[in-house]
Amino acid sequence: MAHQAHAYHMVDPSPWPLTGAIAALLMTSGLAIWFHFHSTTLMTLGLILLLLTMYQWWRDIIREGTFQGHHTPPVQKGLRYGMILFITSEVFFFLGFFWAFYHSSLAPTPELGGCWPPTGITPLDPFEVPLLNTAVLLASGVTVTWAHHSIMEGERKQAIQSLALTILLGLYFTALQAMEYYEAPFTIADGVYGSTFFVATGFHGLHVIIGSTFLAVCLLRQIQYHFTSEHHFGFEAAAWYWHFVDVVWLFLYVSIYWWGS
Amino acid sequence: MFRHFLTLQQVSRRQISSTVRRQLDNNVPDKQKLFQEANGIPVHLKGGVGDAVLYRATMGLTVLGAAYVIYELVKAALPQKKD
Repeated sequence: MAHQAHAYHMVDPSPWPLTGAIAALLMTSGLAIWFHFHSTTLMTLGLILLLLTMYQWWRDIIREGTFQGHHTPPVQKGLRYGMILFITSEVFFFLGFFWAFYHSSLAPTPELGGCWPPTGITPLDPFEVPLLNTAVLLASGVTVTWAHHSIMEGERKQAIQSLALTILLGLYFTALQAMEYYEAPFTIADGVYGSTFFVATGFHGLHVIIGSTFLAVCLLRQIQYHFTSEHHFGFEAAAWYWHFVDVVWLFLYVSIYWWGS
Repeated sequence: MFRHFLTLQQVSRRQISSTVRRQLDNNVPDKQKLFQEANGIPVHLKGGVGDAVLYRATMGLTVLGAAYVIYELVKAALPQKKD
């Protein structure tokens, strides 16, 4: 049987890029159809296809790396570059929303009362739940680092415990933020204050959910012995993403919650 | 020295495995054998019958979805007859 004479990964033909592209088409067109014709069928179909694509694509990557051994050092280097570039693109995504916030808050218009927060807006107290949220995410940064060291040192039980604790802290943040959203005295429709607040913190919250899900997958893999003390890039990628989410929150807290009040 | 390191590894592994529940055995070697079998099956179908079922369901939804979106977009783009 012929074997490759290089260390790179020549992937098997896969249907998931096609199904993913169709899912994106269905979600975007479905959004337009929902807005104009009040039907959510197309968008829902797109979402289901997206979930199926993500599950099978990432399942295949786990098979290729952990079961087939395709993730050699040069391949892993490429995966590292890829994750770093992706996180960089997300940084730029959030940069846009921070630009919008500072554009409106540094020079508040007469329509807002010439002040920030605008007239009529009662901002959230930054030293109540938002401060707790900051502590929760900072603590989760500690626990995910503890999990990493546990994996590197072959401490299976500690790795599982610290990873589970990280996920619980992420869920706690999400629950607290959901409660804050419900109890807030202002809405997304309350001028540019509402828009910048809920879009920036809303996308951040979505990323917390994505990060928690990624960590949960890593927890399942750690329990199933997928990670070795030398090779656990999936976990490292999840940890990098989690630290990124934490840093975005710190900027949100200082800019919108604290300075912006 | 290398022998000593190996013994330490075996001891720590024994200690750890005694605290883990029995049903969580390491079946990665079995998975490795399954997915490295030289049968020419692509990775997205190599896991068994379940893979084929999920693939067919996904591809079915993809084709139906593509047809449905074209139908809806054409319907939305053509002017509606008003009575």
